[in-house]
Amino acid sequence: MDLRWEILAGYGPLFVAGLWMTVKLTFVSITCGMVLGVLLGLVSSSRDAPPPRSVPLGWALKALRAVTTAYVTFFRGTPLFVQILLVHFALMPTLIHADHGLLYSGEGAREFRQNYGAFFSGALALTLNAGAYISEIFRAGIQSIHTGQTQAGYSLGFTHGQTMRYIVLPQAFRRMLPALVNEGVTLIKDSSLVSAIGLAELALAARTVAGAYSRYWEPYLLISVMYLVLTMLLSLLAKRLEAPAHRRGK
Amino acid sequence: MTQLSTRRFLQTSGLVLAGFILAACGKKADAPAPAAEPASAAASVAAAPPPPPAKVYVVGTDAAYAPFESQNDKGEIVGFDIDVVSAIAQKGGFEVKFINTPWEGIFNTLTQGDRDLVVSAVTITEERKQTMDFSTPYFDAYQLIAVKTNSKVTKFSDLKKLKVGVQNGTTGDEVVTKLQGKSSANIKRFESTPLALKELEAGGVDAVVADNGVIVNYVANNSNNQFKTVTDKEFAPEQYGIAFKKGNTELVEKFSKGLADIKADGTYDSIYKKYFGEAPAAAAAAPASAASN
Repeated sequence: MDLRWEILAGYGPLFVAGLWMTVKLTFVSITCGMVLGVLLGLVSSSRDAPPPRSVPLGWALKALRAVTTAYVTFFRGTPLFVQILLVHFALMPTLIHADHGLLYSGEGAREFRQNYGAFFSGALALTLNAGAYISEIFRAGIQSIHTGQTQAGYSLGFTHGQTMRYIVLPQAFRRMLPALVNEGVTLIKDSSLVSAIGLAELALAARTVAGAYSRYWEPYLLISVMYLVLTMLLSLLAKRLEAPAHRRGK
Repeated sequence: MTQLSTRRFLQTSGLVLAGFILAACGKKADAPAPAAEPASAAASVAAAPPPPPAKVYVVGTDAAYAPFESQNDKGEIVGFDIDVVSAIAQKGGFEVKFINTPWEGIFNTLTQGDRDLVVSAVTITEERKQTMDFSTPYFDAYQLIAVKTNSKVTKFSDLKKLKVGVQNGTTGDEVVTKLQGKSSANIKRFESTPLALKELEAGGVDAVVADNGVIVNYVANNSNNQFKTVTDKEFAPEQYGIAFKKGNTELVEKFSKGLADIKADGTYDSIYKKYFGEAPAAAAAAPASAASN
């Protein structure tokens, strides 16, 4: 096995830009996915909560739950790779297109597609996917807190919202943390799938070199190390969020 | 309990289905099914009963490159390259088996011994010759630029500052990389040429550079997309060859001889006519005339 690292030299800027793009992509997707996941998780865990007093509101919540369930089912049940292609080559051209975009068309749409299209589609697909998983993590976390805790809250005169905020969520969050970190790590790794739509991120930089030289050790080893550093940094950051042992009741 | 969850399951799947149906309805007027038509009649050459086979050669091909190789609705790999190799095999009294192989890493399958040969519209280049062996050329090709009809691009150098879509690792990728530089952010690399052309259709790139046969075929099958093609004298003429593992001289000669045989007896010409509608001699003149516009 002869390694010719010098073939990577000319592509240096491509790898640096690719790393930066991967970081940006996963940061945006984790953040947006977290917001989406928390909202959806609250909706789907509302099944066990006392129903709202007004009847139309109750129906609206029921409909919202049904939509959430369908959404989570779809995005957990189909491959991320397919979702990325679906968003970029089917959904986005329907919504944003220079000639016949449903949401946005004209010269601006073309500019947008050219400059941010792949990033936007990739981030959207990753966000939607992560949102589905995070909502389930959230629901599981909330449901893992014994109902006695909620009932205690109610009997103290707390509303459902207050019970969630002061009693259930603080306990649930500690249990969710490892699963959330896991999801973040998965997201960093899965962002490599976005190279299929031509976004110049880390994996595409390696694929470019592999395509040009038909050599696989050097580019893929290099990006393996880079991904490893990214995921380890994330786990390290997450460790700081974990409560120390004495506060975990040990 | 079971009943309840069954009901929930049914509700959910109903919703998902409804979503699919809605999505399908909303998107009716879109592109017709791409490609495949010229290839549908392809299997005829291979269909004739072969003489008792001596050996089955495994052929790697990236079947997403109509009209050279693609998969028809039955899952069979069909196309110009496929017919040529099948004809050579029939002539030589041996069998070939085609396996769909992704373009990235396709040459690696030769060195690994997973495939005996690769036929996949592979352009013979000096770089590639260093790592593999080629048969005599079997097709003349040249690069084409596909742009929207209203584009102002008239020559290759116009692409210097534009966003260009290419298939990763192809000769189209090479020429654009040479023009814009190795670390240019304006080159968008895709897994297949049709995907790059799809991006052009959606307005994500200003142009696509790829081999003539594929672009012409795509434009012909998607005429409502208003593409036009531009070529440039700067593009060096290219030739496709069948690729073999470096040093496998016996096999190279076998296929080169077979190629000469099917060219001599007219089989090659009839295959060519089937896919490109004209004899090879007439088509050979095409690059020159196309270059003038």
